[in-house]
Amino acid sequence: MRILQRLLMMVVIIWIAASINFLMPRLSDRNPVEEMIAASMGESGGTMEGIEEAVADFERRFGMDRPLWVQYANTVYDAMTFDLGISISYFPDRVSTLVLQALPWTMGVMLTTTLLAFVIGTPLGALTVWPRAPKWVNAVVPIVMILAAIPFYLIGLILIYVFASRLSWLPTGKGYASGLLPDWSWTFAQSVLTHAVLPAMSILLASIGIWALSMRGMMVTVQGEDYMVFAKAKGLKGSRRFWRYGVRNAIAPQVTALVLTLANVVTGAVLVERVFSYPGLGSLLYQAILLNDYYLIFGCVYMLVLTVGFSLMVLDLVYPLIDPRIRTSVTD
Amino acid sequence: MKDGGVMKGLSVTDLRVEFYTDDGIVKAVDGVDFTVRPGVRTGFVGESGSGKTTTALALMGMIEPPGRVVSGQADLDGLDILSLTEEEFRQQRLATVSYIPQGAMNSLNPVARIETQILDGMADHGHHLRGSEAADRVAELLAQVDLPPNVGRMYPHELSGGMKQRACIAISIALGPRLLIADEPTSALDVITQRRVMETLGKVQETIGSSLILIGHDMGLMAQFVDEMMVMRDGKVVEHGDVADIFGSPEHAYTRQLIDAVPSLQRKPAAAPISSPRQDRPTDTPLLELDNVGKTYRKGRSRIEALKPLSFRLDGNKPRVIAVVGQSGSGKTTLGSLVLGFETVTQGTVRFDGENILRPGKDATSRFRREVQAIFQDPYASYNPFYKVDHVLSVPLRNFGVARGREEALGHMVEACHSVGLEPAQTIHRYAHQMSGGQRQRLMVGRAIMLKPRLLVADEPVSMVDASLRSIILGNLATMKAELGASVIYITHDLATAYEVADYVLVLHKGRVVEAGVPETVIGDPRHPYTKLLVDSIPWPDPNRHWGAGGTLDEEFAAVAQADLSEPTIIRDEVAGFQLGQGWTG
Repeated sequence: MRILQRLLMMVVIIWIAASINFLMPRLSDRNPVEEMIAASMGESGGTMEGIEEAVADFERRFGMDRPLWVQYANTVYDAMTFDLGISISYFPDRVSTLVLQALPWTMGVMLTTTLLAFVIGTPLGALTVWPRAPKWVNAVVPIVMILAAIPFYLIGLILIYVFASRLSWLPTGKGYASGLLPDWSWTFAQSVLTHAVLPAMSILLASIGIWALSMRGMMVTVQGEDYMVFAKAKGLKGSRRFWRYGVRNAIAPQVTALVLTLANVVTGAVLVERVFSYPGLGSLLYQAILLNDYYLIFGCVYMLVLTVGFSLMVLDLVYPLIDPRIRTSVTD
Repeated sequence: MKDGGVMKGLSVTDLRVEFYTDDGIVKAVDGVDFTVRPGVRTGFVGESGSGKTTTALALMGMIEPPGRVVSGQADLDGLDILSLTEEEFRQQRLATVSYIPQGAMNSLNPVARIETQILDGMADHGHHLRGSEAADRVAELLAQVDLPPNVGRMYPHELSGGMKQRACIAISIALGPRLLIADEPTSALDVITQRRVMETLGKVQETIGSSLILIGHDMGLMAQFVDEMMVMRDGKVVEHGDVADIFGSPEHAYTRQLIDAVPSLQRKPAAAPISSPRQDRPTDTPLLELDNVGKTYRKGRSRIEALKPLSFRLDGNKPRVIAVVGQSGSGKTTLGSLVLGFETVTQGTVRFDGENILRPGKDATSRFRREVQAIFQDPYASYNPFYKVDHVLSVPLRNFGVARGREEALGHMVEACHSVGLEPAQTIHRYAHQMSGGQRQRLMVGRAIMLKPRLLVADEPVSMVDASLRSIILGNLATMKAELGASVIYITHDLATAYEVADYVLVLHKGRVVEAGVPETVIGDPRHPYTKLLVDSIPWPDPNRHWGAGGTLDEEFAAVAQADLSEPTIIRDEVAGFQLGQGWTG
């Protein structure tokens, strides 16, 4: 019953968000088809004659000559069937192909780094206020806190300068070395990994401190609770008090934040992907917006909407496991 | 139940604990010596700041910086526990010395089942139980504290206050310690639950044969429960001896003072003369009128009748203090919320000064909010921590147009502080967290007085403060009545304070008024079995008058259960200016 309710909720959220996403680019008075054709004609050195007809022809093929509500109905139908149409800027590639090509790159780097940053940052933040924490915590935490204050694209630029330009240890950008073709070989895998190191590091360095900071605040509150005193009076070992009584109670808001961050992973850190010319969804979305490619924008954002909706549903279902107090109020 | 080791009990010599603060060294415990013989219950009594809790924490090895145990020995059955290292001390906690915390409301880990919280303590002392062995041990411990075995699978929020406290006792006796330290274990519980928890604690202590230290400020509870008593003040022992001797002939004036601070049914202070009865209102409209007012909560398909239809009229020409007495769940707080308009009635009408408070006429809302003031139980939760006191006080002054301009507002604030005995200079520019719980609660009373209300709803205003403050705050309420001519609806679980301040008492049980009358008859000579149970559960500050004069708790509960719930209210007597009725349309 509850799952059904949540599913319905998710569908509604996705529908509303997708509708907004449909309307927004169309409010702009730019004509993407005209721009595309003009650009390609300009490139091939052709004249501008006949451009009107060509534009009209393309518009008909994209269905852009029809009334807005027909376009909307089509889009809704397409969205439901996950057929996202043909990209204007990458004509004649399908949007779904483009999105699915970019997705693994973004997921690989962003998902891993977000989870890693959470797993490292959360206990670190909790340890900063734990009376008998190891000494190294006091040395490490100020550094990650400072890094958290620097935008990650800036950290990315510094990393490129130091490790790619000056030391030449790692490549400056792109998903893999330009001479290679994607396949399942060891050389290709190695290339992908070395190319992922710098973007991953820049996000990791910038976000560990943020997780640590928010956990620290929650842990301070938990430390003042009566059950922490009783846990000590029970003669519990320090590690059990820290994890099972402290972290366990402080973690709920962290998990909420984690799920929301994961939901946004899909569009990636657009700026990071730009800085490293990484072939992920962020770069794709950036391109699409530059050219006002309705269909591609819709495809990228639709992906985001799907993950946000899905993540929120997962969060709703997972939360009672984290906090038993929610469990009973739900069954009431 | 430890074997080995000689049972000599606890003997503490020259215990000193100091706290290093910005204002210098505070000697929280200043050279304390005492012994607790095996199997004996000793009470540590004193007000907050007397050092009683600090002494206990030192015995648990739990003094945290900036505090430090400066000197002293604590010999427990041949082991000097104060000389132990941190890890050695950890192993002794629970195994040898156990602690039953104050405020059981928050002492259990909210995200772990009770069985987990029993077993984890055992596991960290080398007793790793699994499967049926673990389940059996949990059930056995829960049975010792009169809890059914299924409580083990529950989370703390699924338990009532009394059950949580008993779960805490079960946790702390898991390894059969030789010394139990109970730190105000019943401070937030009503008298009946308190009696049940204390009976459980006493039984458990006798079963495992440990010594017990009960920390508290309630002399009544001490008289009922402990064998010996140690009175502390400013970190020193004032008096230590047999409880009957101390109550019989207290040697120290301070002890006398503590005993006298307990509200007692023998002494009723003479009613203060009413100096300025208000004449500024028409006499025919009652101040507060409840016409067949009831409240039913729906939870899914089940309905909970929190308050059965109730009617009364409070004239307000003569100020009255009406006490509404009952346990948690009796509907007393619901009644208060309905009068304040915080909850909507399911049936009936609440009228203030003739106006239905849910459909007030023009200007009536603002007048209602000003003329009806409230004081709540928790002086910590009543304040917005981001604002200073002057903001808390000046907002109502501004909103109700009481004061124009800062000067006038300040004058009102200073007056408000004086009215409750607070020093304005040390109060107005502070944040709530910079004041003690007692100061905060007094300020709440001062805030209410400042607005010169005609009706005050006080919901358990003194259940979280210690004895001497309790009498000050109750005194403030009496002042409101006498000097402002304000009537008070005093909601409490504490019959003794109701006896002291009330003109009329309503005893509420399961949403119904079971007995009503003036305190002398209702509390002095209760008729209804529920009122009897309440009165019998008051911890009398007299070691010779035991709990359960009217039978054991179970017998009394049985009598309450047998009482007919449809029976009309036993109305003992009437008081001018207040009428309890069967419903009328005004």
